[in-house]
Amino acid sequence: MTAAAASMGVAARRGGAGFSLGPALVIPATLLVLAFLGAPMVLLFRYSLNRYSPRDFMIDAVTFENYVRFFADPYFIGVLGTTVQVAALCTLVSVLAAFPVAYLLARTDSRWKSALVIAVVFPLMVGNVVRAAGWMALLGNDGAVNATLRWLGIVSEPIRLMYTPFAVILGIVAVVLPYMILTLQSVIESIGRDVEEAAANLGAGPMTTFRRVLLPLSLPGIIAGGTLVFILCMNAYATPVLLGGPQFKMMAPALYDQFARTTNWPFGAALAFILMTSTLVLTLVGTTLLARRMHYRKLDAAAR
Amino acid sequence: MSELVLTSLRKMYGPTVAVDDVSLTVREGELVALLGPSGCGKTTTLRMVAGFIEPTAGTITIGGRDVTYLPPHRRDTGMVFQSYALFPHMTVAQNVAFGLEMRKVGRAEAAQRVADALALVRLGHLGDRLPRQLSGGQQQRVALARALVVNPGVFLLDEPLSNLDAKLRLEVRVEIRELQRRLGLTTVFVTHDQEEALTLADRLVVMANGVVQQVGTPEELYESPANLFVAGFIGRSNVLHGRLVSPGRFESRGGLAVEVPVTDRAPGPAALALRPERLALAAPDATLPAGINRAGGRLTLVTYLGATTEYRVALGADDVLTATLPTPPVSDPLRRLAAGDAVTLIWPADQCRLLAPDPVGDGATDEGV
Amino acid sequence: MIHSRINRRALLAGAAAALAAPHVARAQSGGRVIVGTWGGDYQDLLKLNIEDPLIKPRGIETLYDVAVAPPRRTKLSAERLSRRGTFDVACLSDIDMFTMSQQNLFDPPTEALVPNMKNVIKSLAKPYALPHIYSGKVILYNPDKMNPAPRSYNDLWDPRWRGRIGFADGLYMQVIESAAIINGGSPNNFEPAKAKLMELKKLEPRVYPSNEALAAALKSEEVYATIMWLARGYMWKKGGLNLTHAVPTEGATPIIFDKAVPRNAPNKSNGWIWMNAMLEPAAQLGFADRMGYVPTVTNATMPEAIAREISFTPEQQEKFVKIDYEYIAANNDQLLEWWTREFKG
Repeated sequence: MTAAAASMGVAARRGGAGFSLGPALVIPATLLVLAFLGAPMVLLFRYSLNRYSPRDFMIDAVTFENYVRFFADPYFIGVLGTTVQVAALCTLVSVLAAFPVAYLLARTDSRWKSALVIAVVFPLMVGNVVRAAGWMALLGNDGAVNATLRWLGIVSEPIRLMYTPFAVILGIVAVVLPYMILTLQSVIESIGRDVEEAAANLGAGPMTTFRRVLLPLSLPGIIAGGTLVFILCMNAYATPVLLGGPQFKMMAPALYDQFARTTNWPFGAALAFILMTSTLVLTLVGTTLLARRMHYRKLDAAAR
Repeated sequence: MSELVLTSLRKMYGPTVAVDDVSLTVREGELVALLGPSGCGKTTTLRMVAGFIEPTAGTITIGGRDVTYLPPHRRDTGMVFQSYALFPHMTVAQNVAFGLEMRKVGRAEAAQRVADALALVRLGHLGDRLPRQLSGGQQQRVALARALVVNPGVFLLDEPLSNLDAKLRLEVRVEIRELQRRLGLTTVFVTHDQEEALTLADRLVVMANGVVQQVGTPEELYESPANLFVAGFIGRSNVLHGRLVSPGRFESRGGLAVEVPVTDRAPGPAALALRPERLALAAPDATLPAGINRAGGRLTLVTYLGATTEYRVALGADDVLTATLPTPPVSDPLRRLAAGDAVTLIWPADQCRLLAPDPVGDGATDEGV
Repeated sequence: MIHSRINRRALLAGAAAALAAPHVARAQSGGRVIVGTWGGDYQDLLKLNIEDPLIKPRGIETLYDVAVAPPRRTKLSAERLSRRGTFDVACLSDIDMFTMSQQNLFDPPTEALVPNMKNVIKSLAKPYALPHIYSGKVILYNPDKMNPAPRSYNDLWDPRWRGRIGFADGLYMQVIESAAIINGGSPNNFEPAKAKLMELKKLEPRVYPSNEALAAALKSEEVYATIMWLARGYMWKKGGLNLTHAVPTEGATPIIFDKAVPRNAPNKSNGWIWMNAMLEPAAQLGFADRMGYVPTVTNATMPEAIAREISFTPEQQEKFVKIDYEYIAANNDQLLEWWTREFKG
């Protein structure tokens, strides 16, 4: 029996050294990603080097003039600027709005907790367009908000809420908030309640506990949620189109225009790549800064 | 350091009573252990002292100051959590310094006090480590240092040893006791481990179902348990159910007549508690002086425990007594006793404790050992 | 967006394979026909007035590839080199249809293929497509708010209507054309529109992302007037909006919804059967009642009540603005960019 066990052990070891299923399991997913994400991206990049012709649709070429056109044109730089600003602001607002909710969800002992989580997730089951339509009903000149304000006598003329940056930010935040809440909730749940109690026990008030303990420990969640949300915001399409109105230009609607309205695929492809690259770069810069800040604070406190 | 006084403390969760009318004074420099099975209300009581739970009724004073409704950060208690609750993003030194920082202690003084506190728990060399780089025992000592460095009015320990392995537990137990003595800390210690409580505490508070069963020194609790619950929870007890037929005379259900100390307890149903080590084996024909009980029976089980040996003896249909005796030398004929042998148990009448027949608790008695 | 991610050739091959397989397997006698169209009312009416009464009885199965115009246009462009396309019948507006025809995508209709072609109003016919329905661009306004009532596009440039004129973003070319006409432009010169529209911009006109958003704004009286197809105005009126239309003194510009059969249509003969069916008078009238579009054939007579609402008098038809499709196709890119940046910006 011992001999059998020993030989089994050898076999297991040999198996471990020679072949393991682990890497093989990744192969199908990798192939799938390559085929359905990688290949179209390569193709799209190739398109972005072509030339546009209204008559002939697309002329094969290898030129960077689409990229040059973008960066030489203050209009498109402005569109990118608006996109970045809106995305950054929405990310910030969603962090601020999500944190208290996430904290409550993470800390509640209520038996309604799962119902609350479902309530948070529920908006995700409704498409962005439908949600935007809801906001239109609320924010329009004869929408619910204005009707209430007028009924209360606060305003006599309806105030303009639709087709404003405010409406866009509100709309996008409403879309991304669930992602932020769920990400933060799981991180806050992993922070022991006793750690907060320890801080309070050592004399830290609620604000200090938040600043010195809860916030730094939540930072990984803020970074993860912020990244996710920032990427979603940068690529927002339906909300800016429907709530921002035709005057409000962000990158995703602009590149849709290029593909669909002017059928300028090469320039549209270039816009897509610029949007993707700037999202990637800004996300990396943002997370690195936040992570470093966390690190510095630690060193700083250590020096004291 | 200051006196802690709980007066008629009560905590309800809806209709459920978690802590019922607890009154207790912990004198300055005294270590009091709250002892009881899980769910007995001991942790709730401790958390009410720390301010994490608001009592439904009653008051808490620390050093004469009523803190019942103060938030935790203004109570001046130092707590060591079961999980240690160290700040994972701060170094050991930062963890210990946190309380001082909150109290706006000057930088130089704080550094000195942190160093002293870490030296006190023999971690002076690990100040720059992060908690996750330490062993469980080291983390425990950091938690101690962090709570102690601020000189809290009351030192609170919530099952501080339960996450340590058995060997380390003994070490840290001694350490805590020494520190507490040396610094004269007014301390409340929550545990479910009676041995831990007996070795550490000046006084014990035994709780069950949210109610204090008995408060006293380890000796008081052991020698004079107030009820069957305490008798069973602190140490082990033989329990005979029956009735007090007349002052000084108890009769078990199995018909065994026992001489007991004369008290003012009225005759009626009663339980008799008897520590196993207070029993002895005697020859059936031995003559006994007055005041010694005798009962003949049959050995049902002999358990060799090294220094001691346990003899389980069936006296009749209902009555079973267990005697724990020093293991006899090999030459002694007692050493050859085995299950089935007839034996005679003897015990002094004044070792019998007459108690109310029902355990005050939820029946969590250690009947018959 | 979706189309941008797909390798064009792979898409074509895949689409061809997907279409070929059921084609072989199908037992039905008349085969099928694939119509690329808008969804909603328009698709419903295609089914109700053409498919059900005229196509189904011949054993031909009709499939709809439903999308707004841009993706379908993109599909036509992308498939132009493929032997087998997606659509047997492509539905587009006259401007879009012209742009596509420049890529030589469509088979020319003939009377041999489409006998009903002889009844088509001559001025609406093209060599590459057949007109299905038409309407004209007019001024739609709220009669309670606009006093005096507008008669010319110029009347919308009135400071009294500051902030009360609204446009649908999708009709940028039509708004530009209107502005060009009243500022010395012509069907092949929209440049004067730019100065004229910048003038209007000072009066804070509203631009809405969709026709529906514009309708909501007209309903809530956020705006009082717009430039829009008469047919659309008819539907809005039926929907309860307080609107009246004025055929501008400059003349209405027709909008024609065309249909064409692509050269690479997979079921070409059924495509022509469909084209012929849509020109049947009964089929034509169904669109008039529900959508307010006027028949493009001479042998369909509308009920008097509807005709009054949606049709143009012979005099008005006489004054129809001729559209220079070539000019529009060549300038779309430039004019849209100007519209997006300068006028809306």
